[in-house]
Amino acid sequence: MGKRLAGIFWSLLFLAVPVLGVATFAIAPAYDHWLPKDVSEHGASIDSLFYFILALTGVVFVVTEVLLFWFMWKYDAAKQQGGATYIQGSHTLEVVWTIIPAATLLFLAIYQMNAWADVKMRRPAMSPTVEVVARQFEWRLRYPGRDGTLGTADDLFLVNDLHLPIDEDVLVQLKSMDVLHSFFLPNVRIKQDAVPGMKIPVWFKAREAGEFDIVCAELCGWGHYKMKGRVTFEPRAAFDAWLERKYAEQGATQPPPEAADVAAAE
Amino acid sequence: MTPPPVTATPAVEHGTVVGHAHGHAPKGGLSHFLSTYVFSKDHKVIGLQFLFSTLLWFLIGGLLALAVRWQVAWPWSDVPVIGKLFAQEGGQMSPEFYTMLFTMHASVMIFLVIIPILAGAFGNFLIPLMIGADDMAFPTLNMLSYWFMWPAFICFGASFFVEGGAASGGWTSYPTLSTNPASSPASGMGQTLWLLGLTFVGVSSMLGSVNYMTTIILMRAPGMTMFRLPMTIWAMFITAILQAFALPVLTAAGFMQLSDRMLGTGFFSPEGNVVNNAIAGAGGGQPLLWQHLFWFYSHPAVYIMILPAMGMVSDILTVYARKPLFGYRPMVYSIAGIAGLGFIVWGHHMFMSGMNPALGITFMVSTMMIALPSAVKTFNWLGTLWGGKIQFTTSMLFALSFVSMFIIGGLSGIFMAATPVDIFIHDTYFIVAHFHYVLFAGTAMGVWAAIYFWFPKMFGRTMNEFWGKVHFFLTFIFLNGTFFTMHILGAVGFPRRLADAYHYETFHHLQPMNAFMTYCAIGMVATQVIFAANFIYSMFWGPLAGRNPWNANTLEWTAPSPPGHGNFDYQPIVYRGPYEYSVPGVEKDHLMQTDPPNAAAAAAAAAAH
Amino acid sequence: MNTSSATLRSAVLLVLVTAVGCGKTPPASFRLNMVQATKTAAPESGMEKPWSSWARDRQGQVATILEAMYGTPDEPIALAETGLDLAKLQLAAGPVRSDIVGRKNGLYREHCSHCHGISGDGMGPTAAFLNPYPRDYRPGKFKFKGTWRDARPARDDLTRVLHEGVPGSSMPSFALLPPAQVDALVEYVRYLSMRGETELALYTYAEQELGVDDTMPTTKEFLVDEILTPIVEKWQGAEEAKIPVAAVPTNVDFTKSGDDPANQESVARGRVLFHGDGGCVKCHGVTALGDGQANDYDDWNKVIVEWSKEVAGGLGATQDDAGRSAWLHAAADVIEGDALRPRTIPPRNLRLGLYRGGRRPVDLYRRLYTGINGAPMPGVGPSGPGGKGSVADAEIWHIVNYIRSLPYEFDGELGADRPMVAKDRF
Repeated sequence: MGKRLAGIFWSLLFLAVPVLGVATFAIAPAYDHWLPKDVSEHGASIDSLFYFILALTGVVFVVTEVLLFWFMWKYDAAKQQGGATYIQGSHTLEVVWTIIPAATLLFLAIYQMNAWADVKMRRPAMSPTVEVVARQFEWRLRYPGRDGTLGTADDLFLVNDLHLPIDEDVLVQLKSMDVLHSFFLPNVRIKQDAVPGMKIPVWFKAREAGEFDIVCAELCGWGHYKMKGRVTFEPRAAFDAWLERKYAEQGATQPPPEAADVAAAE
Repeated sequence: MTPPPVTATPAVEHGTVVGHAHGHAPKGGLSHFLSTYVFSKDHKVIGLQFLFSTLLWFLIGGLLALAVRWQVAWPWSDVPVIGKLFAQEGGQMSPEFYTMLFTMHASVMIFLVIIPILAGAFGNFLIPLMIGADDMAFPTLNMLSYWFMWPAFICFGASFFVEGGAASGGWTSYPTLSTNPASSPASGMGQTLWLLGLTFVGVSSMLGSVNYMTTIILMRAPGMTMFRLPMTIWAMFITAILQAFALPVLTAAGFMQLSDRMLGTGFFSPEGNVVNNAIAGAGGGQPLLWQHLFWFYSHPAVYIMILPAMGMVSDILTVYARKPLFGYRPMVYSIAGIAGLGFIVWGHHMFMSGMNPALGITFMVSTMMIALPSAVKTFNWLGTLWGGKIQFTTSMLFALSFVSMFIIGGLSGIFMAATPVDIFIHDTYFIVAHFHYVLFAGTAMGVWAAIYFWFPKMFGRTMNEFWGKVHFFLTFIFLNGTFFTMHILGAVGFPRRLADAYHYETFHHLQPMNAFMTYCAIGMVATQVIFAANFIYSMFWGPLAGRNPWNANTLEWTAPSPPGHGNFDYQPIVYRGPYEYSVPGVEKDHLMQTDPPNAAAAAAAAAAH
Repeated sequence: MNTSSATLRSAVLLVLVTAVGCGKTPPASFRLNMVQATKTAAPESGMEKPWSSWARDRQGQVATILEAMYGTPDEPIALAETGLDLAKLQLAAGPVRSDIVGRKNGLYREHCSHCHGISGDGMGPTAAFLNPYPRDYRPGKFKFKGTWRDARPARDDLTRVLHEGVPGSSMPSFALLPPAQVDALVEYVRYLSMRGETELALYTYAEQELGVDDTMPTTKEFLVDEILTPIVEKWQGAEEAKIPVAAVPTNVDFTKSGDDPANQESVARGRVLFHGDGGCVKCHGVTALGDGQANDYDDWNKVIVEWSKEVAGGLGATQDDAGRSAWLHAAADVIEGDALRPRTIPPRNLRLGLYRGGRRPVDLYRRLYTGINGAPMPGVGPSGPGGKGSVADAEIWHIVNYIRSLPYEFDGELGADRPMVAKDRF
């Protein structure tokens, strides 16, 4: 009897895996422990793929884990009178459980190509909106200035405080001055490593105004954690006004009257 | 539970009795002690040496992990106990110390624990015993493969005490952080020692892998055809092949990085790269080159770190389910498939690296495909349990948890394989959850299953079952508490390797969750005290086991426990595959590989009457 | 099964709790400025005690006074005379709170101390590996500011450095911190700086005024009136000590590039001044690549360099005097253990487009006008109100214009680390 109880105990422990596993995922969004708000145009396709894979793997997870529990429950030695069934395998089953996952996985791979291509391969034909140069441990930004061309004397230089217009394509030219960094915008579903010696284009279109984090997602040294930036999405008019303001600040030939609260004004 | 009654002598009736093929005349004194227990060429002693060394490093790696968890849960707060050791000011951890901690946690766990405990400890101990050989093909090489670990132990261990501390560029050591000594405090001597240590681990693995391949091909007992090999041996064999083909690339890459650092070459540094106001080398290189070379080894290495555990778990499941392995050949083919595909999927570590996105698509397809053999294996394990007669021993519980946890680790891999989803979850805690489910909840649980299972063969005594189950229960609970929650963090995009992520608005609210995970991690490490006590106690005072305590079929159980020098007192002759459990018509529920067919027939006849 | 595992779990928890309890580290404390403490404590004749215990006594007196005046890193004190805002200091001081959600104080230890050190000595755990070294606040010298060269920085100068970071060094931008937190950090830097200056003043006083057997006076008149007030006055005067900025000449248009006709005349004039009256070529070189004289030290390093020469010389000679010998050995230990290895300060390569003190024309103007306090860079403007510089105020704008055009000018020299124009290098 004791052994039977032990068997029940262990089976139930293994049943707890799918039960609590699913519960964790079900509860998490209620506590905001879930995908952060998405403000990008392409983000929806990434999120829907995430949910699609979550549903697919969730089903497989529950089915296999429950089977495991059921076998533990049912085929417990303490419960059985006779011996085990002598089965060496099943050709049919092997074929079935090879073909079905193969088809599913292949479908999954092909199904996603388009979303990938949208984010990483179909670069809009435009000149860079802004150049982001990662550096230990900050994001140096360079806007092309009034002439629209990077690398001229009228470029606008800023640090960490990225502003971009909404409802239009933006192209970020990503570079690194020293080591690897990764330009991660959780709310835009964008991530791209910045590699020294490479200029990497990153593009997206924001749908909503707001302020969001720029995170460095590739280990870049001891100060990796402090490489925080902020991206502000705003309508074109506000963006242009902001550019003008920054432009005037950069061209300052006199200490600004409100210098005492440069920080306060931000 | 009490171990099943011991079956007495092996059922070898017409096997020839063999003496020790190369028996040593007993010698007294120090040189005897040294040659028997220290510089031994006996595969079992070497296996145990690997086991003890790696378990010790397992402890160190675990403590490093706790320190990492402490900082993640309560950044900048005073670290208890070990805080004193490095207390700079007020006992808080400095950020470079944190980067060093996670780098060394991963490096120690991968290079000094998982790889050597699987191939070194269990590969060494089990291969000759399970194929019926009296030792390895090259005993001296075998000894060297252990002793080449020592320079690695010393390099990794000493690096904590050099100026700047141990390597802190992540276990992946991406340039130019790792190639430019000015880029971080520990990119100086610490990184050099790391590279040297890595090279020595590589030499050790290489010596081991040629040995395993040769031994498995040439030294099988009479009748032991390739398709009568237990899954453990198949897994070890394929692992050895993987090692032999992938390692040279890493070794070469390691030397290139050393040369970038020491000789001023520029394999991995682009022109004009300035870090911390110091120009790195000549330039003209490509940081991505390292990533390709590194992952060309390290992706197959992921399979080096899981396949042997899969093999051992397959064997343990059959023993305690008293049932043949479901689909033996598909299992072998899927291991081979994993190994083959393992060489063409390395790019999935680099989806965000800046490599051509078109390549991402090819790697996505091959990566999706490699999930297939893993799925087949999982289904076959379930098939093995189906209709079995399951005995819930500690070893079986660990093996079952391997299956349960590997399902999670395998399925979460699909998220990362999907390139668009990877854009979001790359380098977040999702991937941390994934590889801890595969490597800790998978491999480490498999290793525990193997330790509880083969302990009687190693030391002639069984481990305490009650405390074994307590150990299992607590480890199982705490590991899921620690690692399952990481998926949720990953879904928020919580990046890995951040000393303090809470100053980001996006991650600000995740601290309580991280604190919970750290409590679980502390519990998990503390639980291992039970294991250590059980292990040491049972080694000396556990109940004597006899030759075949679990009524298993494979050859090692025909040898004495522990086997003497030369392993078998009878030359084993193999008549059948390893999984003949509960054969219909046979009274005994298992037929050992050495049970002669006529005995089986006689038994069947007896049953028929 | 369940009872025993519960017992076991509570046992494990007990062990952990005990371990945590025993592991409490002592509260943080300020470090003394050992370089100055030792440097100013040369042994004199007639000492009763051995030098080392005498020196320890004096250091103890200084530490006690400083703690009474400024408190500890966890509990700062703001004397009314300093004008420091205690509420702000408390926000910045103290250990970082673990309960992240309610994190309120410990800003300095969260953001600054691992480089600048808990005492503001520029010797945090990370400091030795940075190039350039982090600022040592204790002498009260700051490089990038809008005040006269020798004046202390104004609050908004420090705010600006926190806001923009120092490009080309390891100082990052803290632009994203809430303004109240930046304010608190600025106040804390001023606090650490005043504390460091007070400490320096005490050593200087001891060296010059105190006899061998005297103890440091601890009266309010001495500490506040004689020591503290001059220091505080400098800091409070900084807000009024801003340099005048001349109006921009009409032939300068900073919105246009250097080769634009609007600027040609001005840039040409700037080049002449750069090579002539300004004296810039001496260090920055004819090509402005920063390849002129490059073996100088900044003030923070120079102290160590000169003193270590002196100590090494002293140690080389035979010493009869036990006290002197003890002092020299102690000095050698301090140089080895309590100071960063001195590094030279190379003149800036002006073709990189990296300007540590900021890239606004007014920033460059200020650098040129006053030079860089603490660094060998001299100013071309007058050294104080009413003085006369080597270049007239308005003419400085031409040099600014010339410097701003440099990164976009082909320098005629190509090499591995010199792309055709620096703009591609940023």
